[in-house]
Amino acid sequence: MNLFEFCYGILHWLVDLVNNLWYWLGDFLPWYFGDFFTAVGDFAASDGHLTFMTILLESVVIIVVALINVLNFLWIFRKLSGRILDFYGPYYVGYRIGGWLQNLADGMKLFIKEIIVPTKADRLGFLLAPVIFVASSLVILSVIPLSVNFGLSTNESGEYVSAGALFALAAFSIAPFAILLAGWSSNNKYTLIGGMRSAAQMMSYEIPLILCAASVFLLAGSFNFVDIVDAQHDVWFLIPLFIGFVVFLICLIAEVEIIPFDLPEAEAELVEGWTTEYGGMRFGLFYMTTAVRSYAGGALATAFFLGGWQGPSFIPDEIWFLIKAYIVYTVFMWLTWSVPRVRIDQMLGLGWKRLLPLAMLNLLIAAALKSGGWF
Amino acid sequence: MTWELFVFLFLASAALLSAIWVISAKEIVHSVIGLVTCFIAIGCLFMMLNAEFVAIIQFLVYVGAVTIVILFGIMLTKREIMGGEGR
Repeated sequence: MNLFEFCYGILHWLVDLVNNLWYWLGDFLPWYFGDFFTAVGDFAASDGHLTFMTILLESVVIIVVALINVLNFLWIFRKLSGRILDFYGPYYVGYRIGGWLQNLADGMKLFIKEIIVPTKADRLGFLLAPVIFVASSLVILSVIPLSVNFGLSTNESGEYVSAGALFALAAFSIAPFAILLAGWSSNNKYTLIGGMRSAAQMMSYEIPLILCAASVFLLAGSFNFVDIVDAQHDVWFLIPLFIGFVVFLICLIAEVEIIPFDLPEAEAELVEGWTTEYGGMRFGLFYMTTAVRSYAGGALATAFFLGGWQGPSFIPDEIWFLIKAYIVYTVFMWLTWSVPRVRIDQMLGLGWKRLLPLAMLNLLIAAALKSGGWF
Repeated sequence: MTWELFVFLFLASAALLSAIWVISAKEIVHSVIGLVTCFIAIGCLFMMLNAEFVAIIQFLVYVGAVTIVILFGIMLTKREIMGGEGR
């Protein structure tokens, strides 16, 4: 049973339940109301309506699962930073579960804050930028399946969209536009510098990222997530493409802007980077979406290099996938709290002079392996 | 009117209106927002034609590279709202 059938079954059961009551209610009314009631009930039970609502329910399930993971990620972020920097981290809110509820409390605090738009800001851009950023980051999740049966972007028979992995990378590349828009429209020097840095960083690190993904596509012979994971049945792509894995991880860190590469929001130089002028839940959305992007990045690295949901079968496939994604994220955090922030020229030098040649070398290795007939 | 026709008309009108907005907007960054909307609508039109790959390349190349356009827009034009304040 895949996610579509599961959600369809639940909705079918629910509509049947409600329709019994609804038709029963219609019997008491005069005929012209009764006919209307019957028509509404028939529409609710029709196949097109049920399919549409199923897709909505699937999206809700995927997003809720992702957001629960995001809460875990933020908790790991704070707790691990505490452990590495020698303090406790969140502690009081949710005392018995290690301060897990602290993020919910922070979210609640951000919800009740006032939304302020600066007077001289460009209103259209200022209000549109969070929408673009959040939407383009959440749409990545739609194509990433946690297992063969747990994914959104399928047709009714459970076949996945053929270019899903490419779509995830394409959706990743919309974010710099939103960030630059946010930085420009806030009408503030620091946000503009943050947005400029973000654009430079993301555009230059996207090229090695996509080259590493291209070597994976070359070995797997497909853009489809399920095919890519199936191609790693014998040996994970981590082993033949180890250079690519390392480059991919570094580029992901730059893409999601966490600390060694968080130049766009460098607290010591630019007040809060491109989010300086945002307050309340808009800032909360940016903060949450950064974690969503970390989750999506970890999931991409898992699917491309770590064998996806493959593992011994005593743990369900979805849990294997999440375990690997969590390990990738923990490595990010380990790196984050161990190394200092780089300078902008060092960072661009690293991207163009080191990572790009390494990614090309990785692509060469992949092509050699493919033409040698090993994959 | 079938659903397909409705979606097609929606996307086509979105593409046309945002293309008009690109040339009529006063602020250059607003033009860029219109350009992105236009590209996304055209990508969705490709997707309606079952040309998924072309649609995704449209997103990846055009929508991604629009950031560079906005950079040039900021760097090469005079900006009124930043000037004069001295902040």
